[in-house]
Amino acid sequence: MLVSGAAFGEDAREARGKALYEEHCAACHQFDGGGVPMMQPELIDKPRANGPIGGVIDMILFGSAAMKPTDEDYSNEMPSFAHLSDKDIALIATYVRTHFENNGGYVTSDDVRDRRPRN
Amino acid sequence: MKKLAAIALLGAVITGAAQAEGLGVDPSAPMSDETGIRVPAGFKSVVFADEVGRARHMAVSKSGWVYVALRRQIDGFGAVALKDTDGDGKADLREYFAAGVSGTGMGIYGDKIYYGTNSYIIRWDLPEEGAPKGDPEVIVSGMEDRSQHSDKPFTFDARGRLYVNIGAPSNACMEKMRTKGSPGMDPCPILEEFGGVWRFDGNRPGQKQEDGERYATGIRNAMAIDWNHAAGSLYIAQHGRDQLASFFPDLYSNEMSAELPAEEFHRVPRGADIGWPYGYVDASIESRVLMPEYGGDGKKTTDRGQMPLIAFPGHWAPNDLIFIKGEGLPNGYRYGALIAFHGSWNRAPMPQAGYRVVFVPMDAAGNITGDWVTFADGFPGMEVVNSPRDAKHRPTGLAEGPDGALYISSLMSGGRIYRVTYEGN
Repeated sequence: MLVSGAAFGEDAREARGKALYEEHCAACHQFDGGGVPMMQPELIDKPRANGPIGGVIDMILFGSAAMKPTDEDYSNEMPSFAHLSDKDIALIATYVRTHFENNGGYVTSDDVRDRRPRN
Repeated sequence: MKKLAAIALLGAVITGAAQAEGLGVDPSAPMSDETGIRVPAGFKSVVFADEVGRARHMAVSKSGWVYVALRRQIDGFGAVALKDTDGDGKADLREYFAAGVSGTGMGIYGDKIYYGTNSYIIRWDLPEEGAPKGDPEVIVSGMEDRSQHSDKPFTFDARGRLYVNIGAPSNACMEKMRTKGSPGMDPCPILEEFGGVWRFDGNRPGQKQEDGERYATGIRNAMAIDWNHAAGSLYIAQHGRDQLASFFPDLYSNEMSAELPAEEFHRVPRGADIGWPYGYVDASIESRVLMPEYGGDGKKTTDRGQMPLIAFPGHWAPNDLIFIKGEGLPNGYRYGALIAFHGSWNRAPMPQAGYRVVFVPMDAAGNITGDWVTFADGFPGMEVVNSPRDAKHRPTGLAEGPDGALYISSLMSGGRIYRVTYEGN
């Protein structure tokens, strides 16, 4: 579990988060988090990635259409990644919130599970 | 037979990218200190206007006014009119217009100037000087804006019929938008209202999309669309699909996905089906390749759709197309096409590519007569673009003035218009 930032667990989480980001996110948001002007938003120094813990999780779970209206203007729509596990979403959200000049902090699997719609 | 001829031509054209002697840039020449770009020997580039806004497509009037559509409003206006009055090649008059809208399409037909937002085409009387005045007239409305591929670039034939690109709000017509493992829909329902070129009467106000004719289908998104008046035919360059490696890592490496699929340059007869979403073009394979969302494995082919005249490198993003009338240019350029490539984003982790204007030599009948060449490059201001945001400039629009001057727009760094003229040897 993602409890403390101590010991070797941090390196493993970091590596796994980076790998997941590069597999699922980097094609559009780019490997440097820079996005694509007018098409896909950059993730660098981003209010959503420095704000309340649910911001990035919800974007990953529900996609960009569910997050509207925003004050941003990008032509491509981000799909939902709800098919990923709570753990993988937590690792991706953590990676985004602790890289690209963001300091939003860690996200746990429990945080993700709490935000999934209950059927 | 048409298909076979196209394949033969494809083979002839894609083999080399640096011939048509003298028509392209000299790869050993430096970039211009003033503009940062490089144009062929005998040509000169100047910055016609800087900080104009998010510049998109352009049109030039007989009196030399350059009208530029803006993707984002400046002080509430979605277009700008520019003119150089003292002959130094730089605009000294600037008037914003098109209140309350934004868009990409811009064109002149007869004594009217037309503008394409994401959902409608409007027009004004074209003034002798300056920006159009008064409220615009709506020519076509009701084209749904679904954000993805929603720009509405357009062109006119000699009879004033209006051809509008209605891009598909989709990557590969998957059941679930851009979601790994989601299959392609067959038939693709998106094609009923999107993914093609619709033809309208350019002089009849008040049309809806359903009043137009679906002139051609199977087009993912053709930002580059122009009527070739010499040949009497429509041409487009299509943006190929994205993310083969993201969705099919077992079939495509990152290296393959950076090169595939090709960006396609087509002649488009009435009733044509280009082939999206069922197939794509791989320049090394002589038929369209079946999309993996439709059961393809990177090798299986499909006979749905037509082969392109040219297969350009993957993800270069053709953003505008014009056919050169050639006043004031050397003979080799007449009848040829210029294509503005905005530059890729979907080659990562490989370096991005494109970011240039290319020239395609053609004859009066609209046949390609030689290899395409780079006509202008250097826009990003760096050798290697790893992330698109790093590029200082990216070509987005093209226009030719009545004096043969060529204009290239860029929406980056506040927006810029370059002017390229032939100065002789």
